[in-house]
Amino acid sequence: MVENFKVVSSITPEPVKIEQFKPKITVFHCFNAINSIADSDNVYCDIKGIKMPCSSITREVFLLRAFEAGADAVVVMVCPEGSCRYIEGNIWAGKRVARMKKLLDEIGLDGRRLNIFFIPQRDQTALNRAINQTMDNLVTLGPNPAA
Amino acid sequence: MIVGEQKPIAEIKDKVSSYSRLLILGCGTCVKTCFAGGEDEVAIMASALRLAFQKDGRKIKIEELTVERQCEDEFIKEAATAIARNDAVLSLACGAGVQMIASRFTRSPVLPGVNTTFIGVLEKQGLFAEKCMGCGNCILDTFVGICPISRCSKKLLNGPCGGSQNGKCEVNSETDCAWQLIIDRSKSFGQMDKLITYVPPKDWRTSQAGGPRKLVIEDHVI
Repeated sequence: MVENFKVVSSITPEPVKIEQFKPKITVFHCFNAINSIADSDNVYCDIKGIKMPCSSITREVFLLRAFEAGADAVVVMVCPEGSCRYIEGNIWAGKRVARMKKLLDEIGLDGRRLNIFFIPQRDQTALNRAINQTMDNLVTLGPNPAA
Repeated sequence: MIVGEQKPIAEIKDKVSSYSRLLILGCGTCVKTCFAGGEDEVAIMASALRLAFQKDGRKIKIEELTVERQCEDEFIKEAATAIARNDAVLSLACGAGVQMIASRFTRSPVLPGVNTTFIGVLEKQGLFAEKCMGCGNCILDTFVGICPISRCSKKLLNGPCGGSQNGKCEVNSETDCAWQLIIDRSKSFGQMDKLITYVPPKDWRTSQAGGPRKLVIEDHVI
């Protein structure tokens, strides 16, 4: 198992609602894992989806710029280990996310705002769980302090 | 190439905190290759600093630029206008590049964003290793292409020291013993007899012990 990945299984697929604010979540996703982020049925957050032909093109600066653009959390959704069509795209994405989580901790934004999830191909339940885990984190973290 | 690594973001933030307009200047040669100061690293640094200051409720205007090489006057000229419209320059080049900027643009504060580490090679993806200390008098022919100055922890010219185990250095077990490598390679070339010759102490005047060095190539000087 690659370190720093979240496995979407522990949280209920029921949508999480945050009373204090409506979170903005930017989702970078491999289109082999998820065709469209509009499939998420969580109505308690604003989700902006960015489709990638492979998670290997996840670039660190784009993750940071999503926070600059006001995202409260940024999520990268990749194919499960061993399922990347281009062999190791998800592994590279994992390394870049790990590096940016550390940087976010260093600048005081909290690395927990950025996460990477394995999503089995077109698995809507896994997608909803990933969003709910992110919402669950935001209950503790609150809105983006740099937005 | 020159290998360097970025300074911690907290240190950089502290250095630039008194400026409201900052140019982050990258270098597209050595430090780009070692992921310390190329175009991508400039973009990441700019974004991280903007976020860090915004979080503190402070706005900082950051401009990004990467030149081909910061250690050559021809290339840094193109940064002149960007430098002029900013309060300071955060250079992500090696120490030579930072000083080149400081000497040409005398009125702009220039801050280093990278710790220049060594002259080395890319051993494999993501792994850089020191191979040369720039001693000014290369003796690689004597040691079959393996430098005991940069690669032996004790810089022994008449080795081995006897402390290595299984080909690894006793100072750091992750470092290959340079003398083991020299002996193995000498054997493969049938040149073990060359190692019997005593190598006298090195004259360090050609290195930094002789003060800052200069190289003049007369036929290129007008």
